[in-house]
Amino acid sequence: MSRSLRGLAVFALLALVVMSVGACAKKGVPTAPGFGDPAYTGVGEGIGAGAYAGMEDVRWRELGITSESEKREFLAKAEAFENRNVYFDFDSYMLSDPAKRILDEKAVFLRQYPRVRVTIEGHCDTRGTAEYNLALGERRANSAMQYLVNSGINGQNLTTISYGEERPVAFGDDEASHAKNRRAHFVLNY
Amino acid sequence: MKRFSQRRAVHIARVLLISVVFGLFCAGTAWSQRIHIDITQPSFQQISIAIPDFKFLSAQSPQLARQMAQTLGQSLEYSGVFRPMDPRGFLEDPQSMGMTAGEIRFHDWRRLGADYLVRSSYEVRGEELRLEARLFDVLSGRMVVGRVYEGESRNWQSMVHRLADEILYAITGERGVFDTKLAYVQVKGNAKEIFICDFDGGNPQQVTSNGSLNLSPSWHPNGSELAFVSYKEGAAKIYSVNVFTGSERLLSGHKGLNIAPAWRPGTSQLAATLSISGSPDIYLLSPADGSYQKLVHSWAINVSPSWSPDGKRLAYVSNETGSPQIYVLDVSTGEKRRITFSGRYNTSPAWSPKGDWIAFSGSKDGRHNIFIVRPDGSDLRQLTHGEGNNESPTWSPDGRMIAFSSTRQGDSSIWVLLTNGTGLRRLTGEGVQEMPHWSPRFRSN
Repeated sequence: MSRSLRGLAVFALLALVVMSVGACAKKGVPTAPGFGDPAYTGVGEGIGAGAYAGMEDVRWRELGITSESEKREFLAKAEAFENRNVYFDFDSYMLSDPAKRILDEKAVFLRQYPRVRVTIEGHCDTRGTAEYNLALGERRANSAMQYLVNSGINGQNLTTISYGEERPVAFGDDEASHAKNRRAHFVLNY
Repeated sequence: MKRFSQRRAVHIARVLLISVVFGLFCAGTAWSQRIHIDITQPSFQQISIAIPDFKFLSAQSPQLARQMAQTLGQSLEYSGVFRPMDPRGFLEDPQSMGMTAGEIRFHDWRRLGADYLVRSSYEVRGEELRLEARLFDVLSGRMVVGRVYEGESRNWQSMVHRLADEILYAITGERGVFDTKLAYVQVKGNAKEIFICDFDGGNPQQVTSNGSLNLSPSWHPNGSELAFVSYKEGAAKIYSVNVFTGSERLLSGHKGLNIAPAWRPGTSQLAATLSISGSPDIYLLSPADGSYQKLVHSWAINVSPSWSPDGKRLAYVSNETGSPQIYVLDVSTGEKRRITFSGRYNTSPAWSPKGDWIAFSGSKDGRHNIFIVRPDGSDLRQLTHGEGNNESPTWSPDGRMIAFSSTRQGDSSIWVLLTNGTGLRRLTGEGVQEMPHWSPRFRSN
C-alpha cells in the first residue's frame, strides 16, 4: 500500500515537472496528435508533453532545429502561430482580406518548418443552431486549409475538425463576443 | 453496467395488464360516433371531462382514490385535448355515487358543463390492483368505453396512463404518448452527455458518460437504440447506443464530419451529413455493410436530414442560396424543392409523424422561434414568439405536441407545446439541456 502510494507520489511529481516543461514550451493548447478534443486537454497535455520530453532532441532534429537559438526562434513563432486566429462574418466561411493576410503569415511559418503538422479547428458563434454550425465550422476550417494548400503548403500535414458552437472562447451575447467565436483556430502537432 | 440494468428495471417496468373490453355493443357505438379532432385548428375547443375520485371497493390503499383520479386528469390535460373539471364543483360523494349508466345522474353532469365523465372503481388485494373504468358521453348518457385492468398495485401510474391512452383513443382515434421518452443532450461541465427522460420530463437517466461532446440523439424506430454524434475518439463520429443494455457501436467514422443522424423509417439505414468528399453533404448509410450513397450534394452546406414517415422524402437544410433554408428531397426522383422563403436563417427541420407538417427553427431579429409549415411550403405558422431562443423541434409520436429547447428562463431547457401553440410547459429542470428527440411508442397497442 505504502509502496504504491510512494509510486503514485513520484509519478505525480514527474507529471508535474513534465507538465510545467510543457507549459513553458507551449501555451495551454493540446499538443499530442489524437488529442484534438479540448475536453481532454487536461489528460492529453500531460501524456503528450511527457512523450515529447523523452524524445525532445530527436523531434527537434526532425524539425531541422539544432541550436538553442533556433529552438527559441521556433517556439516564439509557434506561439504566435497558434495564438492568431482567422475570423469570419456571421454565417460565412469566406476569407476576408485580413484573414488572408493572417493565413499568408501562417504559410511563411509552415514553409520554414515543413515538418510540423497542423490541426485547423473551425468554430462558430452561438447564435446559429448547433447542427448547422457543425457543418459551418467544417467549411471554415476547410476554407483556411484550402487557402494554405493553394499557397503551396503540403495538404498531408493539415487536418481539419469542426467544433461548431460547442467550444466558445467568449461567452457574452454581444457582437464582440460572437465575433471572437467565429474563428478558425490553429493547433500545432510537432 | 449495473447502472444500465437498474435502468432497465425502471425503464421497462410495464404493467402486465389484463385489459378486458366489456360492453362490446357500447364500444361499437363509440366507434361509429368517433369524430376526428384536429387540435392544430384554431377553432379547436378542449373537451371538458369530469373525473370524480375513484371508488375503493376494499379498505386497502384508499389514498389511491384521489391519486389515480388526479393522475388521470393530468395525463388527459397534458394531451391538450381535454380540460379536466375542478372536482370541488361536483355534487355527489364519489364514494357513494353509482357506477353504471342507470345510476348516474347525467342531468347534473350536463348542468356542470361536462362533455364526458370517467367513473372508476378499484380494489387492492395484497400486491394486486384491479381497476375498472367506464367513460360516459354525458350528453347521450351512454358508455363510450369500459375497461378492466389488473396488475401490481405499485404500477398504478402505468395503469392510469393506459386508461388515459384508451380514453384518448376512444374520443380522438389517436393514442397518447404516455409510454414514450425523450432523449436530449445535458451539459456536464466541459462535456455534453446523452440523457433520456419520460414523456413528462420525469425520471431523467444518463445514457452516455464518456466525458466528451455527445450530440444529436436520434431514436431508432424500434425504440431501443439511439444514434448520436460523439467526439469521444477525437473527431465527430456517429455511434449507436442500446438504451437498455448500454452497449455502443460505431455507425459512421469516415474522414471529416459524421453528424446529424436520422434513421430512415422502416429500414436499418440512416441519413447523415458527412464531409468525406470535402463539403458537408447528406448521405444514406447502411451500417450493416458500411456502404453509403449520396442523397444531397452541392457546393454548399447540406445538413440536418429528417425523413417523411413513409421514408420516401427527406427534409433538410441547405445554404445553397446563401443562407440556410429548408428543402424537401424526393429520394426516388432526386427532385429538390425549397419550402421556406421567409427569414434568412431556417434550420432544424422535423417531419411530423402523420406527414402533414414540417416543424423548424427560424430566426428573425436575432431570435430563433419554432414554426410549422406544410411539406409543400404552404400554411406557415409561428408557434413561439421571441421568448428567448427556441430551437431543435421534435414531434411527439401522436403529432399533437412539439418538444424543443428554449432559453426563455435563462439556461437552455426542454419545453413542450401543443401544435396549436397552446399548452406550453417546461419538461426538464436544473442544468442546461438541448437537442431533444422524441422516442416512438414503446408499447404496441
